[in-house]
Amino acid sequence: MENRLIVSSSPHLHKGESVSRIMWMVAISLLPAGVAGVVIFGLNALWVSILAVITALATEGILQVLTKRKVSILDGSAFVTGLLLAYNLPPNVPIWLPVIGSFFAIAVGKQVFGGLGQNIFNPALVGRVFLMASWPKYMTAFSRPLNYDALTSATPLASLKEGKILENISYLDLFLGKRGGCIGEVCILALLLGAAFLLIRGYISWHIPATYIASTAILTYIFGPRGLFSGDWLFHILSGGLILGAFFMATDYVTSPLTRKGQIIFGIGCGLLTAIIRLWGGYPEGASYAILMMNAATPIIDRYTKNRVYGTRPL
Amino acid sequence: MNPAQFMTIFISAVFINNVILSRFLGLCSFVAISKETKPALAMSLAVMFVTTMSSIITWFIYRFLLIPFNLTYLRTISFILVIATFVQFVEMVIKKTSPPLYRFFGIYLPLITVNCAVLGVAVLNIDMFFVNAKALPGSFYYSVFQGICVGLGYTIAMLLMSGIRERLDLCNVPKSVKDFPLAFIIASIMSLSFLGFNGFKF
Amino acid sequence: MKKLLNEFLKGIIRENPTFVLVLGLCPTLAVSVSIINGIGMGIAATFVLLGSNIIISLIKRIVPDRIRIPCFIVVIATFVTIVEMTMKAYSPALNRALGIYVPLIVVNCMVLGRAEAYAQRATVVNALFDGLGMGIGFTLALILISAIREFFGSGQILGQTLFKGFEPASIFAMPSGALLVIGLLLGFFNLLKNRKAQ
Repeated sequence: MENRLIVSSSPHLHKGESVSRIMWMVAISLLPAGVAGVVIFGLNALWVSILAVITALATEGILQVLTKRKVSILDGSAFVTGLLLAYNLPPNVPIWLPVIGSFFAIAVGKQVFGGLGQNIFNPALVGRVFLMASWPKYMTAFSRPLNYDALTSATPLASLKEGKILENISYLDLFLGKRGGCIGEVCILALLLGAAFLLIRGYISWHIPATYIASTAILTYIFGPRGLFSGDWLFHILSGGLILGAFFMATDYVTSPLTRKGQIIFGIGCGLLTAIIRLWGGYPEGASYAILMMNAATPIIDRYTKNRVYGTRPL
Repeated sequence: MNPAQFMTIFISAVFINNVILSRFLGLCSFVAISKETKPALAMSLAVMFVTTMSSIITWFIYRFLLIPFNLTYLRTISFILVIATFVQFVEMVIKKTSPPLYRFFGIYLPLITVNCAVLGVAVLNIDMFFVNAKALPGSFYYSVFQGICVGLGYTIAMLLMSGIRERLDLCNVPKSVKDFPLAFIIASIMSLSFLGFNGFKF
Repeated sequence: MKKLLNEFLKGIIRENPTFVLVLGLCPTLAVSVSIINGIGMGIAATFVLLGSNIIISLIKRIVPDRIRIPCFIVVIATFVTIVEMTMKAYSPALNRALGIYVPLIVVNCMVLGRAEAYAQRATVVNALFDGLGMGIGFTLALILISAIREFFGSGQILGQTLFKGFEPASIFAMPSGALLVIGLLLGFFNLLKNRKAQ
């Protein structure tokens, strides 16, 4: 009897499509960025991605067997988690790093909460910040792109933080991904292709990405290095993990708010926090921390932006 | 006294050295009362009020009683006594003057006496803003502001946690990690995400 | 005699203050970066617990019920001050490492919790054994947690590096690592309990 009434957790979305299909569509939309990453950084990027994905699938399967739950490693969600984690790693990390990160992402980020649909935090980001806190020296050692003779292998944002002048990098370089950075975040063109696919097919809505990117841009423009309203907002949009985060991680159905209003609050919050960390924090990039913090706030946002049932009094 | 110092205290007390997630003060109440949003909020507001007031009171005691009479070794005893008395006093006043307010956070007030966060702030203020039994310039304002910020940090952690746990109530969480273990794991991830503010310089 | 042994043993496993009662976690998590710190805090808390348990069970008849909590706190605070001053005098390095968590033993829920839940109704001898058992249980839990954190966080046990190629994960030396370890340990003990119950 007790299993007859199933109260499932979010997302309760009517899409006419299964969660599994959506997840695989997201996986497909991520592929261009991965291909670009391999082209830019070489085969090592490919091995890191494959290892991360395989570990994610294996961890999910093993834990589901151990806890006697239905094994659902083919629903695409573990695949996407592994891939996103790999995209957030520098290309030349030691091979055990993506393995441990993926394991942590799935085990602590997801299965501890009971699996898909119940996790509070984006698992891939949980994996990333865990690695970042544990082995910062590997997580911030970026290699330079293959066919690009930059003087430094630091990311543009890190150079900016150190006060270096960025003369030898153009917006076009940033857009095409000719810069140091994580595997999946560098090629904006490829990311936008995937994002356009998701947007046009209606798998994600524009609310979170648009508000997220806009609020980061506005803040970095206002608080520029040479006084108010002098910031290079386009540079801030094109560098770091902002585009990857805004379109592919902040929009995760499970860990972002359900209502449009909530999504706009979520996006603005992410943008504010990202900009604050970039401008004044100790780390050059804050997208993953910002999204995680807003993930933590999602239940509260949902609670106060709930669509009112007609005829009832507001909360 | 400069504004940048206030900003640093704010970011440090609310995020980097969050009273719960990084200093582990008030952890017991954090885990016990964060199951629902309303009581969590009531408790947080009560804590914020008490941390602020106790920062004020203990600063005066330390500066004008303990230091002049060379009794600084009585810091712990005198602080906890004053805090306990103050909390009891507030409880009585609220009970007398505002029954709704008393119902709102009356039952949480006695618990605050033994909330490490309150004594923690008082001791921290002394450690940070007094050097060799001498008050640093502006130490009173810094102490009060730190009291407020620590309360704010407590409130934020509490509010986020209670929202998350309310949502998890509807989830089919593995039996072994239900309640306490999961609460700690969530707190751990929250603490990881607050690391983003590390090295903050305004 | 058997009953006394029981009072003593229950604090170590069956009613372990950290893992079963989930009390007094602030110092447990804050100072458990290294085993030495863990042992230091454990001994300090055990001393306070022992002293306060004995005194409170002695004065239980003369303390009016309504102001018992402030009275208990004064007793506890006295012992904490003794510990604080002793530590400052004989082991300043440990005192620095434990920082504000030494004075905070006053508000450690474990100490007050035992006073409230046990010592104020027990005989002196029982209270003594209870305090000793709880204190040792607390110390053992601290040693377990700090051993895990020291090994994974810095690759060392008691300051000795164990394996050459091991790359320590600095998260375990951070606050979030402490929360993670206690969360996973509590989950693990629950798992064992559930297995046993089946």
